[in-house]
Amino acid sequence: MVLLPPTPAEIVALIIAIVTSHTFVTIVFFPGFIHLALIVIILTWYERKLLARIQLRIGPLYAGGPGGILQPMADGVKLIFKEVMIPYKANKPLFLGVPLMLVFLAALPFAVIPFGQNWVIANLDVGLIFVFAMTSLFPSMILLFAWASNSKYPFLGGLRSLFQQVAYEIPMWISALSVVMLAGSLNLMDIVYAQSKMWFIIPALLSFIVFFIAILAELERLPFDLPEAEPELVAGWFTESSGAIFMVIFMALYMKLYLMASLVTTLFLGGWWGPGPLPQPVWFIIKTLIVATFIIIPRGVYPRLRVDLLIKLGWTRLLIIAIANVFLTILLINSGILSSWGLP
Amino acid sequence: MVAVTSYIIVSAALLGIGIYGLTVKKNAIRILFAIEIIVNAANLNFAAFTRYMNPPQVSGQVIVFYSIAAAAMEAAVGLALILVAFRINSTIDVRKLSKLKG
Amino acid sequence: MALISIPPDITFIVLAVVTIIGSIIALQAKELIYGAVALAVSFIGIAGFFVFLDAPYLAMLQIAIYVGAIVVLILFTIMLVRREVMDELTDTPEHGEGTAGLWLAGLLAVAIAGVAALAGPDLPTQPKPADLRVSDLGPVLAIQYPIPLIILALLMSAALLGALVLAKLER
Repeated sequence: MVLLPPTPAEIVALIIAIVTSHTFVTIVFFPGFIHLALIVIILTWYERKLLARIQLRIGPLYAGGPGGILQPMADGVKLIFKEVMIPYKANKPLFLGVPLMLVFLAALPFAVIPFGQNWVIANLDVGLIFVFAMTSLFPSMILLFAWASNSKYPFLGGLRSLFQQVAYEIPMWISALSVVMLAGSLNLMDIVYAQSKMWFIIPALLSFIVFFIAILAELERLPFDLPEAEPELVAGWFTESSGAIFMVIFMALYMKLYLMASLVTTLFLGGWWGPGPLPQPVWFIIKTLIVATFIIIPRGVYPRLRVDLLIKLGWTRLLIIAIANVFLTILLINSGILSSWGLP
Repeated sequence: MVAVTSYIIVSAALLGIGIYGLTVKKNAIRILFAIEIIVNAANLNFAAFTRYMNPPQVSGQVIVFYSIAAAAMEAAVGLALILVAFRINSTIDVRKLSKLKG
Repeated sequence: MALISIPPDITFIVLAVVTIIGSIIALQAKELIYGAVALAVSFIGIAGFFVFLDAPYLAMLQIAIYVGAIVVLILFTIMLVRREVMDELTDTPEHGEGTAGLWLAGLLAVAIAGVAALAGPDLPTQPKPADLRVSDLGPVLAIQYPIPLIILALLMSAALLGALVLAKLER
């Protein structure tokens, strides 16, 4: 078969068809790159303002606009122009490559999270396990970056961070297991559809509590802040990063925050269901920002947990509560209480 | 699509690479790499055959599931053994460790 | 996207190249950490094969367990073994064992591949269209083959206890 080269008119038609196709719009615009970048920037400003108000300060005020709304832009410009210092005998390929992988890994699970009935990039049948697999890759990246920094404090911080994140992954996913049992599917779209009558936070309240605590530990937020604590380890595993590398890691951390908050919304708070005339993605973003607020607030309120108590909490207390919760959910489903509430 | 012989060829190549690493390398951790590569080759083979059966079955995927879990456990215990051996002998060279001296 | 489709042969070849080159680098790299990263890439290649073979659940499990747990353990062990010990342990084969290993592995691989190629016409070339769903795995695991599941759970507890005992040894 002879393939003739396509005429310019056909190329233009192909490009227009690709750009207006649903897949392209979802990947680039709405639950894709541009929306993620915007939300991450807004989240950094939001966190600083919120923490400032809790601590009776004002926060960013002068950087353009009312209330310092352009502060993240100023931060970004400053970080780009700073010098990237690579420590003596540090492992350059890992030091420069791992932050990019981190951002990639933090952004990838957004492909399966449904922002609305038509606003999901890839409706995988194994969506929840996909998110699980991607978040389980974070500790290895952190360990590689900490080792590549060739310096004592980042390495110790990286080890502590690794232990903490690995310890709290298991209660997180066992408590998500009870949501999967209630919904009957691993597909995130099906989980949201199953919450059309009642949000899963009501029958699975204990799983919500366990999941939320495990998320605080996964994101290294207070009260599980020891790897990053300033009086302890300077800045933990990303001590040696400066300039553009720090900006990339910072963005990866906030993307992870947004990812975990959207996961809580999808699994427990009914995803995009909402009364009234607002479009579904707006409900999703509102709920996610409320969850993000509750993730940010403990940073200004609680003291820090010591590292061995922290790890003990993850492996013993939280794991036992999560497993007991699974049995409780099985009991609830089998005894028919939940089907009388309208859940499958 | 692809014939099943291509999967067998890839699986055999991985097996060969794993056996080369297992027999030639002296570093205990590299031998562990080789073991994991061999187990992965076997998993790939199982998954390919269970798909190309007539009719395709899900039970082959269950075998791979068990294999992944068993390989995880074996890697954990193997690495613990390497750490203990290092602590006692201060070396992870399997030539010296296999002499069982000291 | 339905507008641009990649023929399945190219996907297979790319995945095969990534997996095999990853495993070769894992064994040959001078720095063990680079070897561990190459091993992780090889595991992700195998996970790609699982997706290609209509087993997405297995692919995600492969990534979560192999790359997410085993590679972390390997990295952690490499970092705990002191660097001087690593550097003086050159893994380059000497006394002709490299050639012996290559012949052994090569002959074995060629033998298996040769059997497969010779039996080629008898083996299926096209996979039958299948509707393998993730929800089919549950009944097979729990109802059809429950005993391996229970044995695996006991084995896992034994491995956990064994690893803990080994860690406490020599204290």
